[in-house]
Amino acid sequence: MSETAQHATSETTVIDTDVHITVEEETVAEYMDEPYRSSITESPHPIFPSSSWDQRMGGKIDDHFSTFTSPDDLLAFQKEFDIEYPIINTFEPLGKFSQPDLAVNLMQAYNDLLFDRFLDDHDFLGLASIATQKPHKAAEELDRVGDEDQIVGVYVGTSGEYPPLGDPEYDVIFQAAEDNDLPMVYHGNGDEFLFDFPMHNKGFNNYFEVQTLGHPWQQMATMSSLIGEGVPEKFPDLDFIFLEAGIGWVPYMMHRMNKIYHMRRSEVPLLEKSPEEYIRDSFYFGSQPLGEPNNPADMKRIVETIGADNLMFATDYPHWDFDHVEELDKYLRNYFTEDERKKVLYETPVKAFNLPL
Amino acid sequence: MGEHVIATQDELSNGDRKLVEVEGREIAVFHVNGEYHAYTNWCAHQAGPVCEGKLTGTSDADFDRDSLTVELDWCKEGEVLNCPWHGWEYDVTDGTCLSKEKVQLPSHSIKVENGEVILTL
Ligand code: FES
Repeated sequence: MSETAQHATSETTVIDTDVHITVEEETVAEYMDEPYRSSITESPHPIFPSSSWDQRMGGKIDDHFSTFTSPDDLLAFQKEFDIEYPIINTFEPLGKFSQPDLAVNLMQAYNDLLFDRFLDDHDFLGLASIATQKPHKAAEELDRVGDEDQIVGVYVGTSGEYPPLGDPEYDVIFQAAEDNDLPMVYHGNGDEFLFDFPMHNKGFNNYFEVQTLGHPWQQMATMSSLIGEGVPEKFPDLDFIFLEAGIGWVPYMMHRMNKIYHMRRSEVPLLEKSPEEYIRDSFYFGSQPLGEPNNPADMKRIVETIGADNLMFATDYPHWDFDHVEELDKYLRNYFTEDERKKVLYETPVKAFNLPL
Repeated sequence: MGEHVIATQDELSNGDRKLVEVEGREIAVFHVNGEYHAYTNWCAHQAGPVCEGKLTGTSDADFDRDSLTVELDWCKEGEVLNCPWHGWEYDVTDGTCLSKEKVQLPSHSIKVENGEVILTL
């Protein structure tokens, strides 16, 4: 990180809805039970699945990720980026693990580690990870950790999860999240594209194509499944947060689902209002990675369409496609009122995550 | 405005750079094939520390419509400055951005006199 970043948010309280802490495999293994711990430490090859894409293009992009491991790193980041409240998660999407029991044990280990290394001695806010392979176990985990004040949401990777994430199989998870006043937080991934779209992952020739599609495809699939299965109607107090696919896909999905709903209402009889209304009532979106239109006015229209009540700021630090605060704030300052800007940077996430601030 | 000695010629072998602070601004001088180029350490994308990034080469491609082949060329080795934050590429010899027209690193004039590298600000 450098001292050269120039930004104007120092007088505004900023909540960053997506900050990843990096957990090395050996570190999380310390929190696991046998035989799973040995699966991590004694396996002759890395057991954490990953694609073979060269995401950092032979070093053209720096790796901030593997060194971002301790509370001190987080404190330095907060200072450098003027972030008052980072909402942290332990990143690794658990849906990609082939062994359900291992995934469940990892889930518990990630949450124990989050408390032990980050939350117990600091006033950070964090998300509880869940493995969706065994929905009842995930629900039990939410009951175990969900009433801690510093846990402010349920963290779900959207890659590798099967069936799609609105399936009734997950109703126990939604129920536990709602009972614990926690929003569901869905996080898209690029590297894990391989698990959702293996044929495409093999077929594309460069990561440009994969990164363009990975996050939004996963998030679109998740949103479509949630609405199509009537989840917001079944759990009216539950909120849904989407991270890491930017925001341009949101107007498209709202309008498209409205259209299809009007054509096929009898297929989704749980729904009592249009998809757009559910989205405006209980769905929230992290801004990163914000698209980069050649004409800034195009972004103004997208932000306006989503609105300050549903939009939140996110850096995604320390991932290599993170956004600096200024990236969104330049639009907020130029095109929106101070009240709208405050909503996006602070008030909307307070509401979405029910933050104890 | 003024002249500042920011390095000696001996300090900077070909491919080297030096990051200095002058009048409150972070500026880097690069030595590339006998020429010196100075830029503010400020990326046009999201204000990242561009001058701390790697100097590499980049790929160029030509498509031959008749044979339907693409010829790839790894070129400009040592002349492409990559911003370490998100990888934006700049030609270090003139500060131009390789992926966006009219985007340019803020540059400063440099001269060498008596073995000293002098920046004018
Ligand atoms: S800040 Fe330089 S590439 Fe993003």
